[in-house]
Amino acid sequence: MAQVVLKDLVKTYGSVYAAKDVSLTVNDGEFVALVGPSGCGKTTTLNLVAGLIPITSGDIVIGDRVVNDLDPKDRDIAMVFQNYALYPQKTVFQNLAFPLQMRKLPKAEIEAKVREAARVLDITHLLERRPRELSGGQQQRVALGRALVRDPAVFLMDEPLSNLDAKLRVQMRSEIKRFHQDLKATIIYVTHDQLEAVTMADKMAVMNGGLLQQYDSPANVFANPVNMFVASFIGSPAMSLVPLEVGSVDGHTVLKSAEGWTLPLSERNARKVATASSRKVVLGARHSTINLHKTQVDGTVPAKVYTVEPTGDITFVQAFLAGSIVNISLPPTVHVAPDEMVWLEFDQDRIHLFDGETEMALRAD
Amino acid sequence: MSSVGNAVTRRGRKGVDGWRWAGRIFLLIMVLYTALPMAWMLLTSIKSGFAATQFPPQWWPSEPTLASYQKLLDPQNSVGQDFLRFFWNSFFVSTVTTALAVAVAVPAAYAFSRFRFPGRQFLFFSVLLRNMFPAVIFLVPLFILMRWLGLVNTHGSLILTYLTFGLPLAIWLLKGFYDNIPVQLEQAARIDGATRFQAFLLIVMPLSVPGIIATAIYSFIGAWNEYIYAATFLTKNDQLTLPVGIQRFFSENTTDFPGLMAASFLMSVPVVVLFLVLQKYFVRALTEGAVKH
Ligand SMILES: Nc1ncnc2c1ncn2[C@@H]1O[C@H](COP(=O)(O)OP(=O)(O)OP(=O)(O)O)[C@@H](O)[C@H]1O
Ligand SMILES: [Mg+2]
Repeated sequence: MAQVVLKDLVKTYGSVYAAKDVSLTVNDGEFVALVGPSGCGKTTTLNLVAGLIPITSGDIVIGDRVVNDLDPKDRDIAMVFQNYALYPQKTVFQNLAFPLQMRKLPKAEIEAKVREAARVLDITHLLERRPRELSGGQQQRVALGRALVRDPAVFLMDEPLSNLDAKLRVQMRSEIKRFHQDLKATIIYVTHDQLEAVTMADKMAVMNGGLLQQYDSPANVFANPVNMFVASFIGSPAMSLVPLEVGSVDGHTVLKSAEGWTLPLSERNARKVATASSRKVVLGARHSTINLHKTQVDGTVPAKVYTVEPTGDITFVQAFLAGSIVNISLPPTVHVAPDEMVWLEFDQDRIHLFDGETEMALRAD
Repeated sequence: MSSVGNAVTRRGRKGVDGWRWAGRIFLLIMVLYTALPMAWMLLTSIKSGFAATQFPPQWWPSEPTLASYQKLLDPQNSVGQDFLRFFWNSFFVSTVTTALAVAVAVPAAYAFSRFRFPGRQFLFFSVLLRNMFPAVIFLVPLFILMRWLGLVNTHGSLILTYLTFGLPLAIWLLKGFYDNIPVQLEQAARIDGATRFQAFLLIVMPLSVPGIIATAIYSFIGAWNEYIYAATFLTKNDQLTLPVGIQRFFSENTTDFPGLMAASFLMSVPVVVLFLVLQKYFVRALTEGAVKH
């Protein structure tokens, strides 16, 4: 096992930046999830680490070697591909044995290692089959097994669960997590499913447009998103973002809407908006931190219900507030109807404030 | 299936059946169109010389005989010697052409499919340029070229010429095959410890065997049947290939129709055998990529 360091990694295709100045350190034994919307450069970054595509500039360090110019075979990595990439002409046994044969291990040792990996993944009964005779979940295990037979310094996984049905995905999720705990393996795991990232990873790297946006533990990314993109990308339903203006009433800082209502800010939040580059500020709040009132109370702002989605134990409500959609969750005992007027109360300690111009989170100090 | 059938109205079903029958009749006509001349060839080849030219024709030979075949395959008499030599010449030229075409087309097609290099598009289409003109257009230029190379009256001239037809097609066919093999398979192999070349040799090559076979059959048949160039470039009797040889051979005196037909039949044997043996791969090759696996 080893650590992986990316330094100012750049990959361009013509004038397009697929990865731009990506820098991050994956510590030995850490499980890092690479998340972001489609086309943000996740696969590109992983392929750069694997050495499957040449880097434009920057450095990649695995263990204590700079591997920029090394062939994939010399980087001591294993990779699980999104489409599994099992060798169609080989049996499961031969698929698992291939990486060992390439490393010229003695036959008996290959046999022993393949059987052991097959036992761990519960695919012993499939060893004589060919990939096309396997179900998606079985193919996935074989792909994982082919990475597992060697013990490489780093595991790279590109959306390994995206082709599975929901139930199998949950099951494989816990198996991969278990595998990580047992082997203390260094894993870089690409996914666009943030739930996978949050449940499995020690750290998550959020990417957008080839740029690394934030790299931190899932809890920290969730609690302190650095900008509006991360805020709206992480969390489901998404964090609500309401563009407002800074104003002042009787010497107190408030947020003003175009509709005329004002929202007084706590002293700490007032310090935050004082650092904004203009009067434009975006208010962010997660669904669970917003209180809904059916009548006007002090410190609440008016909104109009748009949709109501009962899910059983929680009812999700979307409402229009100052022209933006706001997500709210309610206990199923509270009933609201579409087009009803409601009043929303924000928890001053748990709201997020963003600079309307730079889209960066505002900090108090 | 049955529920869908039930949902179809009577008229709709009749329409479907009507089309199906029209299709069958069309196919039947096509089969007869291709098979009847062959049947007639076979029948004529076992007639005596007199029976073959009778009018009205004998539909079925009254005295079937294998004499023509015996004559052609007997190394003792001069007809048999010539025929067997032509046969061998054709076989040699076609086999070498095919081997060279595959040997060059495999790496070329792989490079066109996998690598991005300057001039790739241009080169790829210039490969096709040759096939946009009828073959005869190149007859004189190629003859001049071959004379300049000192290859006239050698089998080398034919092999080189056939490659100029066969290679472009082979490269195009094979590139389609390589395009259909996911690049991730090679990437996986390279991560598993293979060099780029090993990944090609151990993973990609075995997967492209059907494509290579299809390509080889095309190229073999093309060379086997070619007439014009063979007739122009070769003049010495002992070098002729079958299509030219048969033609000269039997038009010298009065035409020996049973002999001509027997020779034609024997000429078609290698192609048919090749087809039957490799048919499995060939069909797979032509339908490759038709469905998503
Ligand atoms: N071979 C290529 N040539 C040109 N552009 C490419 C190439 N490969 C990727 N790109 C571009 O680079 C960007 C990043 O692609 P990448 O495959 O890394 O996205 P991703 O984050 O893995 O997306 P997804 O979640 O859809 O798999 C995209 O804009 C893509 O169009
Ligand atoms: Mg991807």
